[in-house]
Amino acid sequence: MTLSRNLHGCNNYNAISKSITFAFALLITSFTSPLLAVDFNSITNADKSENIKLSQQQIDSLKTKKLTAALVWHGSSAWVSAVNQGAKETFSRFGIDVVAVTDAQFDPAKQVADLENISVLNPDIILSLSVDSTSTKNSYRSAIDSGAKLVLLSNPIEGFIHHQDYVGIVTDDMFGMGKAAAQLTMDALQQSGKLGIIYHDAKYFITNNRDQAFRQALKSAPNIDVVIEKGFVKESETSNIAAAMVLQNPEIEAIYVSWDSAAEGVIEALRSLDRPDIKVITHDLGVNNLLDMATNRNLYGTVADRPYDIGATMAKLGAAAILGQRAAQVTIVPFDKVTRTNITSAWQEAFKKPLPKLLTQALQQ
Amino acid sequence: MNAQMLSLNQLKQFALQREAFIYYIFFFVLCFFAIVLHDTAFLTLSNFMNIVKQTAPLTIMAVGLTFALAVGHIDLSIGSTVALSALVGALLLQHTGIPLAVLGALLVGLTIGLINGLLIERLQVSSLLITLGTMGIITGIARQITNLESVPIINQDFTFLFGSGKVLGMPILLLWTIVIGGCAYIILKKLAAGRHLLAVGGNPTAARAMGIKVTRIRLYALIASSMAAALAGLLYAGRLHGARYTLGEADLLTVIAAVAIGGTSLFGGRACIVGAILGTWLMGIINNGLILSGFSTNEQMIARGVILVIAVAIGVKEIRNG
Repeated sequence: MTLSRNLHGCNNYNAISKSITFAFALLITSFTSPLLAVDFNSITNADKSENIKLSQQQIDSLKTKKLTAALVWHGSSAWVSAVNQGAKETFSRFGIDVVAVTDAQFDPAKQVADLENISVLNPDIILSLSVDSTSTKNSYRSAIDSGAKLVLLSNPIEGFIHHQDYVGIVTDDMFGMGKAAAQLTMDALQQSGKLGIIYHDAKYFITNNRDQAFRQALKSAPNIDVVIEKGFVKESETSNIAAAMVLQNPEIEAIYVSWDSAAEGVIEALRSLDRPDIKVITHDLGVNNLLDMATNRNLYGTVADRPYDIGATMAKLGAAAILGQRAAQVTIVPFDKVTRTNITSAWQEAFKKPLPKLLTQALQQ
Repeated sequence: MNAQMLSLNQLKQFALQREAFIYYIFFFVLCFFAIVLHDTAFLTLSNFMNIVKQTAPLTIMAVGLTFALAVGHIDLSIGSTVALSALVGALLLQHTGIPLAVLGALLVGLTIGLINGLLIERLQVSSLLITLGTMGIITGIARQITNLESVPIINQDFTFLFGSGKVLGMPILLLWTIVIGGCAYIILKKLAAGRHLLAVGGNPTAARAMGIKVTRIRLYALIASSMAAALAGLLYAGRLHGARYTLGEADLLTVIAAVAIGGTSLFGGRACIVGAILGTWLMGIINNGLILSGFSTNEQMIARGVILVIAVAIGVKEIRNG
């Protein structure tokens, strides 16, 4: 039994588990998101993804069972593709056949339809991120009642009970990521300067918590002055918002924006305004912005999680659950602070593939 | 014998009509997936019932949109109307009973249709521009009234009536589709109102000369479109046990495509209710078949496009060769 330290009721919680639980409790009590349907204060245990391992004996046992899995995702992006890849490759190693992959396009009705569609395939394991806990709950319930083991990505589902309804939740360390973004901002401004914040103005668990954690952590830098905060709903809005922000506040020295593709608009606006001096800090990895970083322009730093590992961890938890193992309620996957110096290693950590040629060339210049 | 010859000739004539197009496409796609997915549960009753349930709100929207298109108008606000009516229904349900909640949601549809119609007819502006504008307004209101939150529905009678219920073993969503589709079919094919709708869409000047109240007919058509969208909102709310501002957001293009493939002209004067229903089911079958085939998301998108293009090409060829 090597699904070692995250077993509910087995072994005593170690220091890591306790500290992660504490961090989550702190996160949730500090920044309760209205989207958050589950009381995270009720989390009984948590673990790190690197502790989730299956022995060769367990893998051999899985291979004899002719298991199937379905991946019911919320949307499509390079990030989701990496999660998908991590899950598929891990399932493949365990001899588990992935019979369906769906994309809800952030539409709860589509996700319900996807769950209904895969129900006729009777998958043994479902990996999923719920677009909307309220709307999708009944469809997940049907799948669980049919015997599927459900592993969730990031978003909890209202009313679902750990072990009884789902195996566990695999998530980023949102609190840590927000804090790391604040640290990058402090580094970019050398502890003092004028900052603009462009935050995600929609109820979305991950981005809301990262943004809030960023604001909270920034309080430890009293000389950084947040001169303006603006929200956006669609990524396409960030270019106009950034342009207006800088025109109104030309003294701004850095801008924080919620995620990478939204930051593309900000960087485009800064180029149009000919303001290479303004540093941008964001989350996630994207080739366009990394090219900007590699060529020493606006993007100073980004905080990247590890989507491939998220998918792989979800697959491992699902497979372990089939073998009767009880996982921690929350399993946290680590992140990396990325600046120009570690683009290559961070990319490889995140996607488990080599850096695109274009980026390699840009870094060599 | 003569009667038999007559019906055969009628059948042949129908097979060559534009309206028959959807039957060719539907048959082709169904056969395609039945062959490709013969070793899965594609060809099972429960799978087809899933498809019918999933597409029920889209079908109702498509039926409503057929009325707007029949008079030569396009209604881009139907997606946002779905969201607002579902939210209003769900919010009312927290304080009142089902009748008032349903009435409130349908009133939303009625009001939106009335506003759309009055603006289009009074200002003599393109329906595309007016409904594009009202779409934005309605979306904004839907976002505002719930502060982007989902509104859960725990009233089991409501979810039975508009979502998960079964009557004599038949999913209630299929029943809604049959009832609304049947009413719309009767209106368009059997009643004077239907002929007036098509006359207004085909040639408004001639319709006016015949004494048809063109403005009023167009107004009714837009109200029918919005009220159908409002009912679709209730069906979504019932099926999902809740409402959310994003409901219907992604449905507009699917519904327009389904109605057009079903034989309704996008420029007025020709409408086909059965085609609109088959068109939405066709979209559901393609979506379901591609998921069951185990394709990745990107492959599904490519395959969906390819199947649609091939199906349309085969349908056109059949009609020309016929």
